[in-house]
Amino acid sequence: MTPMIWTCEHTEERLSDYLDNLLTAEERAAFLRHVPSCANCAPLFASVSHLVKNLHSIAEIDVPPQLVYSILDQTLGPRESFWQRVLRMFRGVGSARFAYGSVSLAVTLVVLLSASGFSFRHPKMADLHPVKIYRNVDAKAHVAYGQGAKFFSDLRVVNEIQSRLRENEPVPVNPEDNLPQRTPGKEPGSSDGTKPGPRQQNRADGIYRSMEVLADELPVTFTVLGGRSAR
Amino acid sequence: MEQDAQLVQQCLQGDGSAWEELVRRHTRRIFNICYRFTGNRTESEDLSQDVFLRVYRTLASYRSAHGGFATWMTSVTRNLLIDHYRRTKRDRATDSLEDKMLVVENKESAGRRPDEQALLGELSGQVQVGLTRLSPELREAVILRDLQQLEYIEIQRVLGVPEGTVKSRINRGRIELARVLQQMGVRPS
Repeated sequence: MTPMIWTCEHTEERLSDYLDNLLTAEERAAFLRHVPSCANCAPLFASVSHLVKNLHSIAEIDVPPQLVYSILDQTLGPRESFWQRVLRMFRGVGSARFAYGSVSLAVTLVVLLSASGFSFRHPKMADLHPVKIYRNVDAKAHVAYGQGAKFFSDLRVVNEIQSRLRENEPVPVNPEDNLPQRTPGKEPGSSDGTKPGPRQQNRADGIYRSMEVLADELPVTFTVLGGRSAR
Repeated sequence: MEQDAQLVQQCLQGDGSAWEELVRRHTRRIFNICYRFTGNRTESEDLSQDVFLRVYRTLASYRSAHGGFATWMTSVTRNLLIDHYRRTKRDRATDSLEDKMLVVENKESAGRRPDEQALLGELSGQVQVGLTRLSPELREAVILRDLQQLEYIEIQRVLGVPEGTVKSRINRGRIELARVLQQMGVRPS
């Protein structure tokens, strides 16, 4: 079998096939037998192979930075800038509803924090600890319950006193009997150092008697009330 | 490849972030193809935008079975570049060959800022000048094979021509570019 003959025309037509490894083994052998020793093909092969090597080593050109954004603007529409996005986020802040909500939230927070024992004058991070808040709320709830119970107990005692006082008062038959009698030369209620009128004296005696009865029946309560009023 | 196909599906379902991801993944490649073909930065930016606009509008026509998304996108880019070349051909046809060479060279140096030229590098700039002197058929073949490093089968899909034609264009393009660079004084090291 005769070996393949490679000519200068072959080199002109198939030089890239050799460079890109597209020749068969037989063609490759024929190429290598001819080209290195050919005065026409050798310089052509050198320049083209050098060119290909250089082309593969050329780096890509940097893209203009605005190009991607221009493309996106043209296809997806104009994009919001950072500040436009920030403005859009806070656009609702100026509305009355947002202001009302903010104030309500602030007041609620202040009330809750105050109830939990947080001091706004001397704020401490430790006061915001859940355990501390729980203890403060628990203590405050107990104090409030105690004060409430005492208040209602006092109210009950006062109500008892008033009802006893009403029991000892004479029931007027005719409302006109209760009207003060005019005495010549002296205005009712005047404090001129003279003895009180008979009606005022009767009223004082009635209260005194009621207090005595009440003291007999409720000695402890009366003492407490007496002590507080004296203070 | 699969990720591109997935992103395309998400785009078709109205996911804007998927489209943004696709744009970010392919902008560099598309811009480089356009720049290597036209040799003009501003035109390349405009053409890249046109490519993505067309891809966005015709995304539903993409079929993953017919090749990768990148290949399909490169095909769209190539079609737009050829359209652009034909549109601007009339302007170039009035000039003689020498004038054309001169205009290309002046355009190259005038169109780029000094820092841009430094960025491109000497070799890259020389190759760019050489590429603009090739016919569009040879130019696109060399760009796709040697700068974008696509496989022959992918180039075949992008150009829509038989394998033999692809091989022939790549070979002729390389030999022609090597001769142009030699004429420009660029010697193999």
